[in-house]
Amino acid sequence: MLLNLKNISKWVHSGGQKVFLLKDINFWVNEGDFISIMGPSGSGKSTLLNVIGMLDDFNEGEYTFLDESVHTLKEKHRANLYKQYVGFVFQAYHLIDELTVKENLEMPLLYKKHSASERKSLVGDMLDRFNIVGKKDLFPAQLSGGQQQLVGVARALIASPKLILADEPTGNLNSKQGEEIMEIFTQLNKEGVTIIQVTHSEKNMAYGSRVINLLDGSIV
Amino acid sequence: MIKNYIKIAWRNAIRQKQFTILNILGLSIGIATCFIIGLYVHSEMTYDTFHEKADRIYRVNQPNIWGDWDEMVSSTGPNVATALRADAPEFEEVTRLLSTGRQTIRANHNNKVNFYNESRYFAAEENVFDVFSFQFLQGDPKTALSEPLTMVMTKETAERYFGDDDPMGKTLEVKDYDGSWKTYTVQGIIAEVPYKSHLQFDMIVSLKSYSEMMDANGWKWIWTAFATYGLVKEGTDMKAFTDKIQAIPPKWAPPTTERIFNQTFDEFTAGHAWTLDLQPLREIYLSESPNFNVFGPSGNPMFVNIFGAIGILVLILSSINFMNLSTARSSKRAKEIGVRKVLGSKRKALIKQFVLESTLFVLAGTIIALVLVQVSLHTFNDIAEVQLALIPYLINPIFLGIVVLFILGLGLISGSYPAFYLSMFEPVETLKGKISNKFRGKGIRNGLVVFQFTISIALVICTLFVQKQLSYTSTLDIGFEKDNILQIHNIEQMGFDTESLKAKFASNSAFSKVGKSFGIPPNIWSGDRYKALGPENDVVQLRNVRAEEDYLDVLGVEFVAGGNFDSSRPNDKYKVILNEKAVKTLGWGSKEMYASDSPIGKIVALASGSEDEFEVLGVVKDFNFNSVHQEIGPLVIIHHQNDKVWDYGGGLSFYSMKLNPELVKSATDLQALVENVKDEIAQMDPSVPFEYSFMDQEFENTFESEQRMGVVLNIFTLMALIIACLGLFGLAAFTAEQRVKELSIRKVLGAKVSELAVLFSSEFAKLIGVSILLASPLAYFLVDEWLKGFAYRTPIDIWVFILAALCAVIITLLTVGFQTVKAASSNPIHNLRTE
Repeated sequence: MLLNLKNISKWVHSGGQKVFLLKDINFWVNEGDFISIMGPSGSGKSTLLNVIGMLDDFNEGEYTFLDESVHTLKEKHRANLYKQYVGFVFQAYHLIDELTVKENLEMPLLYKKHSASERKSLVGDMLDRFNIVGKKDLFPAQLSGGQQQLVGVARALIASPKLILADEPTGNLNSKQGEEIMEIFTQLNKEGVTIIQVTHSEKNMAYGSRVINLLDGSIV
Repeated sequence: MIKNYIKIAWRNAIRQKQFTILNILGLSIGIATCFIIGLYVHSEMTYDTFHEKADRIYRVNQPNIWGDWDEMVSSTGPNVATALRADAPEFEEVTRLLSTGRQTIRANHNNKVNFYNESRYFAAEENVFDVFSFQFLQGDPKTALSEPLTMVMTKETAERYFGDDDPMGKTLEVKDYDGSWKTYTVQGIIAEVPYKSHLQFDMIVSLKSYSEMMDANGWKWIWTAFATYGLVKEGTDMKAFTDKIQAIPPKWAPPTTERIFNQTFDEFTAGHAWTLDLQPLREIYLSESPNFNVFGPSGNPMFVNIFGAIGILVLILSSINFMNLSTARSSKRAKEIGVRKVLGSKRKALIKQFVLESTLFVLAGTIIALVLVQVSLHTFNDIAEVQLALIPYLINPIFLGIVVLFILGLGLISGSYPAFYLSMFEPVETLKGKISNKFRGKGIRNGLVVFQFTISIALVICTLFVQKQLSYTSTLDIGFEKDNILQIHNIEQMGFDTESLKAKFASNSAFSKVGKSFGIPPNIWSGDRYKALGPENDVVQLRNVRAEEDYLDVLGVEFVAGGNFDSSRPNDKYKVILNEKAVKTLGWGSKEMYASDSPIGKIVALASGSEDEFEVLGVVKDFNFNSVHQEIGPLVIIHHQNDKVWDYGGGLSFYSMKLNPELVKSATDLQALVENVKDEIAQMDPSVPFEYSFMDQEFENTFESEQRMGVVLNIFTLMALIIACLGLFGLAAFTAEQRVKELSIRKVLGAKVSELAVLFSSEFAKLIGVSILLASPLAYFLVDEWLKGFAYRTPIDIWVFILAALCAVIITLLTVGFQTVKAASSNPIHNLRTE
């Protein structure tokens, strides 16, 4: 088992009342799963994804990631954990505008202190794999949305994470670009990468092996 | 990783050109201004340090025994030095310089006799070069001045006299006070005197050349034409030593006071302490030496303080600007920070990145600043009349160390705020762009803008008052008509009787009045001890000037009692004319009492050795015979032919002519007139150097240093204002960007462009309003302090403050206006579409 959430709840106080963002979530993921989280706007999809990605706190419950109890870890250890094992893909791509494609891909490796030659070969591999060698010196603004998301996925993958978290990865793309991205996810999943995606679309959901439906913070 | 940081810093800089240029430009101007001021202040504070033994050289100062005893002056009698040699073995050497005044010299070169007029000239003892280190190019510093009638001169002077010939052993003749010529031999050639020296000269003659005068003169402690310098032995306890030498005047001076004044030492000092001060050589230049016995320039410590403060303020202003703009800009990079965090960056790495980035900016700003300094220094040198150079500092490790520290320090401070603040946020929030909405730097940024404008507005107010004071003093009623008075100098060299010259001048219809005097305003410095006749009356100090009756007509001074000298009454030459202040000082009451108790006919007695008595013939209204820095002092006008008193005014005499405006209309007329006078004098005696001046210009010149300071202050104020405006402009641009969404929504809801413009500008106008409120009392305090140094002060009018406030508001609206209109008139669709 890659990760396990037990009775996870998250809430905020609004006007003296507790408003649940997540309520009593029980949920596990095995290595190699491809999971889609579905639900209407405001149902807590993104919050759940952030909790899984350890970018966000929760108020109650237990979270185990690779046999580590995340809820008992200090913030710093938690951060180390996600930096090591998790890759993120965002709806708005979140590439750094001032860096070229190649440099954007290189960035996670810089923070993980890979040597220059390692970085060069890993970036080269990624560029090859995603067929974007020709775009390596372009800036994000010079790419289409689909191409940008391709770079986003490549960046998430470059440090070989065990888990990829994708928050509406095709939300800003047209259908053809969206399909391409989903094809890539399927391919990655076949190679053994665990994927959790948040999506609105039934079509994208179909790529996954398991679906979790959320409504008002609870799994239904 | 560093490469990545530099790359992203560079690309950010290029992408946001406007911010980058504003930011670096503002910083460069600030640093450049601060560097120039720093060079100026450093230069002013390191005068006289080139002497090898500078740390052990002291000047001996004593009270001004001819005037205000509380004032310490460098004028001592010749025997202060001899007494110190006898009683103060702590001095390794004691040397004295005699101020001789201007000299007329003739020399023969290539069979042609040339006349020269030398003012950078004094006499010194043979050991002077054991104390001071001036570089000898030829001759032996030990012996160059050991004989009478020897001299050393600078290389430049030697070239002036002897061209390319070897000057050593050459002779030249100096006109003595009695009109005879004395032959001096050149025994040494000195390299150019360093400009940072309080002793400036073209030639020095041996003091032994004056031995006759020094031996004959019995006034060993009161002939205060000497400056005394001493070189102390190493390791001397200066405090104990200073205490010890206080015993010297009471021990050695009594024979002089008894012989000359027939007074005991205590009677002479009348309760004042005749102290001796040891002033370190390095402090002399900036100690505001009074007008006697100074052999070169003296600095103004007030200017050094003011400019030093401005330099630091300008630097702070531009640093604040830099921080403000960096912070504003960095909030735009929240997304980048979020991404970096998600991708594995630690907080420390982010802080490092931001600090590195701002350090690079400061580095760029500093390099540009150094280039600006180098380019503009020449102009600054001309304006401020200094000789500053940047290059020597660039190879000075201490200076470079300070620069590096500055770059690192400012980089750290201005980089750390955005770094610490932004890197603190949770990545989820930064990615969602929440930070820019709740970015809390606004209060701090507003505070910094207020600070900047408070300083700038205060500087503007101060500058306006400096200009106001300068124009006030130049238009002040000084009690006589100083315009259109031509003054011919060096008349004393034509002998005492110059009636034939006067007749020539008087026959020229271009002159309406002609008169001779032995001193001319604003430079009447001589004074003596007087008392109202009667044993019960106190001795007082009065200024005095010799003049003929016509001179008072030239000045047009007004009589309040009695009248002018009259040449038809031979007895008038032993009478005197007082000013109102002198009447009061002598204890005879003020003008209101003249009717019942007229000073006319009362007796003034000299109290300086002789006890000659002079009857008061007239009283003139007070007029400024010195610069208007000072209050009008008491003055005695003595008839030019009065032979009972010895010479006043350093033996100089002048002819002053009132120009006839009907006949002297243009500069050409004036030029022709001056040429004419020059020819007339040359015909009578070709050895008399022709020199002239205009009295109004001489008065103007007394404010020369203030005027120069005024110009420099204007420049620096302008710099501060530019920096503040750059900052405001950048901040307005940033705010416009931040508020574009809000403004768009307002527009969609029906707001007009003009309403938006008012809304947007009013925020900045409020900040400027606060700045004006803070700046006004600050400026009032500073101006008030500064004006205390003047006897005549321009009133601190409220309109000046209002003017400065109006300027500030207009500048603000202009600066902000561009951004306002741009933001308010943009199409709301574009701004509301995102996400």
